[in-house]
Amino acid sequence: MRRIGIISVQVAIIHIFLFLAIGLKAIVPIPLPTSIVGLLLLFSALFFNVIKLEWVEQGGRWLMAELLLFFIPSAVGIVNYDELAGVQGLVIVLVIAISTIIVVGITGLIVDRFEVKQQ
Amino acid sequence: MNILLVTLLTCGLYVLTKKLAKRYPILLFHPLIFTPALIIITISLIGISPQTFDEGAVVLTHMLGPATIAFAIPVYKHVEVLRKYVALILLGVISGSTVAILSTFLLGLLFGLDYHLLISLLPRSITTPLAMEVSAEIGGIPALTIVFVIITGIFGALIGPMVFKVLKIKSPMAKGLALGMGAHAVGTNRTLEYGEEATTFSTLAMIFAGIITILLGLSVLPLLVGLL
Repeated sequence: MRRIGIISVQVAIIHIFLFLAIGLKAIVPIPLPTSIVGLLLLFSALFFNVIKLEWVEQGGRWLMAELLLFFIPSAVGIVNYDELAGVQGLVIVLVIAISTIIVVGITGLIVDRFEVKQQ
Repeated sequence: MNILLVTLLTCGLYVLTKKLAKRYPILLFHPLIFTPALIIITISLIGISPQTFDEGAVVLTHMLGPATIAFAIPVYKHVEVLRKYVALILLGVISGSTVAILSTFLLGLLFGLDYHLLISLLPRSITTPLAMEVSAEIGGIPALTIVFVIITGIFGALIGPMVFKVLKIKSPMAKGLALGMGAHAVGTNRTLEYGEEATTFSTLAMIFAGIITILLGLSVLPLLVGLL
């Protein structure tokens, strides 16, 4: 019960940074999504010791651990698109599969080789 | 009332799925496969339309904002690592993001994908809240992009270890960066088995891949879309 209380308060603190980001974007036209502006604000607040890590750590860990829960309603939205059931759907899965193998392979290889060079 | 019902239903089925997945760790019980399937069946049985469900889901979907902001915490905790390896992280993420977008674009053209499907597919390799924003920005359909992001994450986390084996990639740093780049949060989750170092790099790669793709989404992507 105490843990739920701490998490709720800390999630509320993280919300302050969401509202600050919304406010900042209303004043200054920043070409970044609100969530990224909020991320940068929270990082700055931690970095410049405006807030303590313990004030947001548990709430943040909970939000990140249950991230998949917040995606579920969007995944349900798939029922609105019948075209995914046909050939195009299969083609998309194929494109994603090939491209993902290339991305993971190339990123891994580049970092692996440069890391060796650096040492 | 609608919001309460949708939130409780979704949370309940999510907890149930997680329990099942813990007992039987198979792909079918992934929270982004099994839970949405259960929800679609449940709402069609009790006669709630997908639109009504979607309207009731505002609270849950809203939490994606704070959840993204929370990723500032691991970046702050690992700020020393970031300082030391910033060049290597940027090198990996900038090449990875470029390869992700270009290979998706070219493969999509090659296979003759419909215009709106191809556009919605372009930002698929970054974490969902950011991918939705990029998708909307370049004229895609965010709801479709989400599905593609989810498929990318699940597939990337599954295939990553095999790719590392074939290409003889052994360093935890390279594995972490590659999984965070190629499979965002789902890939980062997978790096837990490679140790804390890999997870740190994966988290950093995921966040930077998001930021780089947003910057590309505002500059290069509209040009690519213009070519169609």
